[in-house]
Amino acid sequence: MKLDRESAGARWIVRPDGCDKVTGKLNFLTDLSFPGMVYGTILRSPYPHARIKAIRTDAAARLPGVVAVITHRDVPGVNRFGIMYPDQPVLCEDRVRFVGDAVAAVAAESEEAAGEALRLIEVEYEELPVIDSPEAALAPEAPRLHPGGNVLHRTHYERGNVEGAFRRCAVIVEETYETPRQMHAYMETEGGLFVPGPDGKLAVYAPTQHGYMDRMQLARILAMPETDIRVVSSPIGGSFGGKDELNIQPYGALLALCCGRPVKIHQSRWESVRAGLKRHPMKIAMKTGVDADGRLLAHRVRILADTGAYATLGAPVLQFATEHAVGPYRIPHVDVEGWAVYTNNGVSGEFRGFGGNQVVFALEGQMDRLAEALGMDAWEFRRINLRGMDDPGPLGQRVAPTDGARHVWETIRRSSLWERRSGRTTDRRAETRLHQRDVSSGSGHVDVRPDNGGSGPAAASFSSPWVRRGVGAAMVMHGCGLGFGIPDPAGGRIGLSAQGNIQVAFGHEEFGQGLLASLQLMIQDLFACDPGDIEIILGDTDRAPHSGSSTASRTTSMVWQALHRLQPHFSRAVCERASTMSGIPVSHLRLGPGGVWAGPERVVRYREIAEKGTEGLQFETQFHFPVTPDAIMGGHYLYTFAGVVTEVEVNLLTGQVTVLGVEHAVAAGPVVNPMGYLGQIEGGNGMALGFALMEDAVMDGSRYVTTNLDTYLIPTIRDVPERIEVYAIEDLPPNDNYGPRGVGEVGSVGLAPAIAAAVRQATGTWINRLPISREQLMRPISTFLHENAPMVSVPDVGKEEG
Amino acid sequence: MENDLLLCRRVNGRVASPMPSPFTLTFTVNGQTVSLEVDPTRRLLDILRKDLGLTGTKVSCEIGRCGACTVLLDGKPANACLIMAYQCAGKPVQTIEGVADEDLNAIQRAFLEEGAFQCGYCTPGMIMALEAVFRQKPKPTMEELKEGLTGNLCRCTGYSGIVRALDRLSRRRVESTRAIDRLGSFRRAWPDTQR
Ligand code: FES
Ligand code: FES
Repeated sequence: MKLDRESAGARWIVRPDGCDKVTGKLNFLTDLSFPGMVYGTILRSPYPHARIKAIRTDAAARLPGVVAVITHRDVPGVNRFGIMYPDQPVLCEDRVRFVGDAVAAVAAESEEAAGEALRLIEVEYEELPVIDSPEAALAPEAPRLHPGGNVLHRTHYERGNVEGAFRRCAVIVEETYETPRQMHAYMETEGGLFVPGPDGKLAVYAPTQHGYMDRMQLARILAMPETDIRVVSSPIGGSFGGKDELNIQPYGALLALCCGRPVKIHQSRWESVRAGLKRHPMKIAMKTGVDADGRLLAHRVRILADTGAYATLGAPVLQFATEHAVGPYRIPHVDVEGWAVYTNNGVSGEFRGFGGNQVVFALEGQMDRLAEALGMDAWEFRRINLRGMDDPGPLGQRVAPTDGARHVWETIRRSSLWERRSGRTTDRRAETRLHQRDVSSGSGHVDVRPDNGGSGPAAASFSSPWVRRGVGAAMVMHGCGLGFGIPDPAGGRIGLSAQGNIQVAFGHEEFGQGLLASLQLMIQDLFACDPGDIEIILGDTDRAPHSGSSTASRTTSMVWQALHRLQPHFSRAVCERASTMSGIPVSHLRLGPGGVWAGPERVVRYREIAEKGTEGLQFETQFHFPVTPDAIMGGHYLYTFAGVVTEVEVNLLTGQVTVLGVEHAVAAGPVVNPMGYLGQIEGGNGMALGFALMEDAVMDGSRYVTTNLDTYLIPTIRDVPERIEVYAIEDLPPNDNYGPRGVGEVGSVGLAPAIAAAVRQATGTWINRLPISREQLMRPISTFLHENAPMVSVPDVGKEEG
Repeated sequence: MENDLLLCRRVNGRVASPMPSPFTLTFTVNGQTVSLEVDPTRRLLDILRKDLGLTGTKVSCEIGRCGACTVLLDGKPANACLIMAYQCAGKPVQTIEGVADEDLNAIQRAFLEEGAFQCGYCTPGMIMALEAVFRQKPKPTMEELKEGLTGNLCRCTGYSGIVRALDRLSRRRVESTRAIDRLGSFRRAWPDTQR
């Protein structure tokens, strides 16, 4: 089904929070003020790596208007944070490990005074040698960034006998891929409001993707009972994984408790860049071999991830990358090893796609290279290697049966964009055979002249000889939930409120994804009620139960399951009340608009039921995200599948790549909220376009060169194609009761490798590093100065760079 | 506590400054005359958000690159992060809060209908930038509308929903009120931060 307004029909609804967002009435948490509040600000390290010899705060504390100055000495509890493994100092004691490390924080009556106070804090540093790459971190003589050394996490998955299998391969492709330090670049930078109560309690209004996790971490830092802290965590002006970890919360909380006044913090963009998380830059070496029929035999992967100065979710990200490096393919012999390595480069952590984006770029690159080396159609090559309905997951674990891979494959094959890739790399089989043993390393790409094999009618249709077109496609298999071995609780509550509303409460957040609209639609589906009957409470630890995190493409799935668990209990209890009040037997009653109905008549209003008391009408459920029964660390059980096809145009004089059109096919079970689903894929598409073509938080010697949105470029409305189509495949196998899978991440994964494949077809250049460098694609104008220029062989000047 | 969380409106916001320069800024904001004693170099962004409590205008890059702070100054689009108090003297400023009455304007309706936003943080700036286009030209083309948004970044939507909204606006299709009618009374999320 092509997903759009027309196909969605009545399910295309205006978001419940929409009106407030288009009128500016919606208060983001960084818009809040409080009477008597003061302004908080954080002093961060100017050095990527240094020893702290002394911190002197007296002058700052004496400045008029300053109400609190804190350092590590003022942290009452554990001076560390980190969701998985708390190793990041809230306030550094004796050493800083990246340019965002916090050393002190100030609260003052005005932002000006707070800023002035920061300048008055004297910190004596002694610079230490900087580790600016994972390779440097692994060198034997490298200084140790943490007591356990420089390796945060190591993964290893092996099945079969890879080395033996390589000896039987007809074609082997070996290549190393590199991906950039992508920044979330949410439009609302980190911030919030921290309000101490007279009872010693603390209210935290600050964005996060897991309010209860923030509460737990803050309780540990503040040495306070969790129940004394209330975390209100949404609405949020974008997160994409970047606000899941604590950011400014510890400082706001400490300052508020220290001075006993409400504290507001709102970081500048530069503070956000220097202290905020990024996507792990990865170097991924893959060696992949096939037999003469094109069947994958062996796949060896080595992943080196720059996890930066502290752990946060570096280990699970690497775990996810390790699993997803195998993808939706049948490969008998697999050997994947990964290292997440500490450096002095910022902090890498959670980011939409969670390590999948990097390895799928590499894996799909391998698939395209192998197909070309075999002289096969790139999509057909994927088909003969694609997983089937009952195949195990990438790590050999049992997974929920799914034919998603074949469904999306078929949808892309039939797409009009894929048809435009008519200049297929045929006739190269003979050529390939010549160096079939080692189609790799440098000469790894078969020397294809673009105008020979790479230019079909699509490319020829354009007049300027230096403008080329190409089409490429990629497959994605993306796990939902946190994976085996990580607690992944879910839950929610439903009840009739005192006002007579069907009230649901989830400890999830609305960060733009459209959870409110999804919930409204699900509740209407289940109870046939009016939107006006519904009340939704989200992201508030005082008012909503534990629901786990709003991450990992799990939220829609989990609230759907929770509501399906709760529905029979709630409906029955409400109908029983209505039965008592009306004298009509329960079996004749059902929930409907405004109240309980019997046949065509509403017999009791919800409000009337509520007036008689709502006790016994609240239901809560707690359960766990479905996991594989096989104890394989990180292995997932539910997956979303996606295929992406794109057409690009490359200007060989400027190196500019323009994405002309994209089609996504997504198999994620039933579409709950069409506008939200579509928006997730479209938004992911935009992010992936940036990842492929322009985004990189460049560091030099572990210092950011890109400091704001003038140097860190994200796509504008001019950079995205007008034609993006999304096809939603809703089919699930019979007896599949897991409902909708998540679509929050999958749209951000496949476009980069699809663009790389399209650029290959357009120009003959293989891309193995993102963002695609224009320099790699540019050709001297002399290349085109001859008559019949399109027939001139184009030297692949960029290849040694790539 | 839920009741004390108020938006603080300091209509006479005075800012501590090392060298106070007495300056009374008089200008109109959404049609109302406002007089404030401020530093002449205070940013319009701070005057709106902090002194007047008009937080519909957003802050993101503070260097004129993202458009989240777009307002109309003398009817033309301006980045409030780059405008100083003295530049506003005697001029009309319009913000998202003053752009439409309860009925919403065509731009806002198109954004709601087409899914032109997610988190909504870029949205007020986008709507003001488009408002500026419509003031220049009541029937702009798709191209002119897009050009009007080149200074506004959105990280959530990939611009697809925005392009749909522009398409609707450029064709000036008869507004469907189908979905709008369903707005209903469902606005109760996050009650205590939304008062
Ligand atoms: S905040 Fe003014 S343009 Fe970005
Ligand atoms: S809707 Fe979130 S930045 Fe545009």
